[in-house]
Amino acid sequence: MMEAGKRPEGMNESDQQRLADCIARARTGSLEAWGDLYRKFAGPIFRFCRRALPTREDAEDATTEIFMKVREKLGQYDSSRPFQAWLYKVSANHCWDLLRRRRIRQDLETQDVDETPLEHPDANQLDRLLEESSSKNVRGALAKLPARSRMALVLRYYSDMSYDEIGESLGVRRNFVGVVLLRARHQLREALAGHGSRGMAAGRTP
Amino acid sequence: MNANPNQPNSHFDEMACLHYLEGQLDRKRALELSAHAEQCGECRALLAALERESRLLTRSMREEDEPVPARLLAPVRERMPWAWIISFGMAAAGAYWLWTAIIDPWRAQLNEAGFGGTNLVTMLFFQGAQWKGWGSMWTLVQVLAVISMCVVGYFLARRGLRRMNTIALVMGALMAALLLPGGANAAEVHKNEPSYTLRSGDTVKNDLIVFGNSIRIDGTVDGDLIAFGNNVTVNGHIMGDVISCGSMLLINGIVDGSVRFGGSMVTLHGKIGKNLMVGAGTVTADSTSEIGWGVMIGGGEVTLDGRIGRDLLTGVGRLQLNGFVGGNVKIQASEGLDIGASADVQGKIEYTGPKQPDVATGAKLSRPIDVKIVERSSKYASSGSIWHMFLQWGAAFIFGLVFLGLAPEVFSECARNAGRYGISIGIGFLFWVGILVASFVACITVVGLGVGLSAFLLLGIATYGAKIVIAAWIGRMALRQSANTGAVIGGMALGLVVEFAIRALPYAFWWFAIPVAAWGFGAFCLTIYGRMRPGILAATSSAAAI
Repeated sequence: MMEAGKRPEGMNESDQQRLADCIARARTGSLEAWGDLYRKFAGPIFRFCRRALPTREDAEDATTEIFMKVREKLGQYDSSRPFQAWLYKVSANHCWDLLRRRRIRQDLETQDVDETPLEHPDANQLDRLLEESSSKNVRGALAKLPARSRMALVLRYYSDMSYDEIGESLGVRRNFVGVVLLRARHQLREALAGHGSRGMAAGRTP
Repeated sequence: MNANPNQPNSHFDEMACLHYLEGQLDRKRALELSAHAEQCGECRALLAALERESRLLTRSMREEDEPVPARLLAPVRERMPWAWIISFGMAAAGAYWLWTAIIDPWRAQLNEAGFGGTNLVTMLFFQGAQWKGWGSMWTLVQVLAVISMCVVGYFLARRGLRRMNTIALVMGALMAALLLPGGANAAEVHKNEPSYTLRSGDTVKNDLIVFGNSIRIDGTVDGDLIAFGNNVTVNGHIMGDVISCGSMLLINGIVDGSVRFGGSMVTLHGKIGKNLMVGAGTVTADSTSEIGWGVMIGGGEVTLDGRIGRDLLTGVGRLQLNGFVGGNVKIQASEGLDIGASADVQGKIEYTGPKQPDVATGAKLSRPIDVKIVERSSKYASSGSIWHMFLQWGAAFIFGLVFLGLAPEVFSECARNAGRYGISIGIGFLFWVGILVASFVACITVVGLGVGLSAFLLLGIATYGAKIVIAAWIGRMALRQSANTGAVIGGMALGLVVEFAIRALPYAFWWFAIPVAAWGFGAFCLTIYGRMRPGILAATSSAAAI
């Protein structure tokens, strides 16, 4: 099984306690606490935006905007739930909203999930493909994916969001989150295998 | 890359394997799958490959392949974006415009006309009156005003103070403000009577409020008279003010205070101690009439033969002036001005109209009339001054800031909904006409006057606000990003510039201003509708909602 339950910032219990204190102080308006919070999460959130959005500039702007939003809405954060989950939710919604507004890809406009059957992969072939792919290749391939597929993979494998959270953020029914993720993986494999960016055609039964 | 064709049903498909790895399978099926995988090398290999893929994905994405930009790691500081600097400037300009173009001239004119008073609103409606009967409605208006001010105050103060302190402070101020108006005394109220007569010799020792078709006062009212009726006749004596609304008002008796009337016709034979303030189609004050202080009239056909103690201020169709005016006269007449032989004006006369006034020989004027001839031309040409537009822009901008400050989410939703132009414009026109008709109906059925007027007012505000919505939409289109408050404000400012620029073109009122008003109004309606029925728009706005 995949190592789920760990977010990019990986924290132990005392870190969590310190974080909770910090958030509590930030909520009462402490600039210092807010500064700590910001410094702690600016990197992970920037990287999140970097994966989710097309350019570095977009990611920088989005990071700034997300933190402005977070600061405004800190009062609404329910402190009984993990802060990171909330933070990534805010970020996911912001980035997805941004992408949607720009209509970067047509697939954003079609809300329904493509349900054409996917070809069953050959495990050995897949293993070989993964063997040959470096992290850098994967990042390059990710950048070629349609926005929703890329976003779904980022939310799941970067932010470690649950299927429920992903469905809510992307406006997809929970039952379809798995389909979106699997389809995204197929598109990624296509891209990795050098089939170019025609991701949507990936996996169709001939 | 196919599964073993000989055993198509025995293997689990890739989806099931992925769900298994992600812990999304129910227990029974998960056990089935793991039992199968123990036997089946092919499925085991697929599970291993998928897991490897997951790990590769996580690793690739989380790898710190590039440094976080220094700009983001710089210490967080309170930023003063350019949009704010501009907005303060604009706010100042807008406030200045509101003051110089609207409030101050009115104040000055009212003062000139002898309506001395400190508070504009009180002066317009209830000057000097010890009247309390209007209480409920007036208090409501005050409460709303105070609440909105408190909300604005809260938004302004919340950054500086701690949340609870701010709330406490604002609530304290709210309570204090609400306590100030004080308790209202009861007035004598008559409703639902087709006709009402206060007989000669009878006295109402209080304010008198009457709703009825025909209202006749022959006796004495020791307070104000508030009369809503078709025909209102005052033969007796009113010690306070008369406030009336209806089709006809006839005053034969004496009113010690002021008379304020809105309706179709006023005839005055008697005496008014203080001011007369009228909006009516026909106003006639015959030679026996006397008005102690000033007169202010907005009307069609106006004849003044009686005596006016102080100033006269009119905006009318045609004015015939045959009486005495103790103060200055300021006239705006769209048809013309006739000054009869028996006229006697002590102060100066300023006249604005389409042609030279007719002055009969024998009229006593202290000095020549200051005449300003205005062609009835399209006002768009004359309002083209850049400075004027700039100030209007500022006022609209302030309005937008208030809107954004009070309801940022509604604001951005409106801008988003404006993107659906067709439906926005259609709904805008439909609702606009609908609300107009509905509020008119509410107004003429006397009981609903308050509701009707409020609806008119809200409709007016919403129509004015429509251009803000469209400006915000233009801003969104132009700047592409609108989550940042600075960018939203900048976008709105830009959008307003674009709109005002287009409005400077010829006949823009018809082909631009009206559709834009409908469009923005429609977007606003859609937003309100969506907020009332969140399920409908959830599909489109779920990603935006946090």
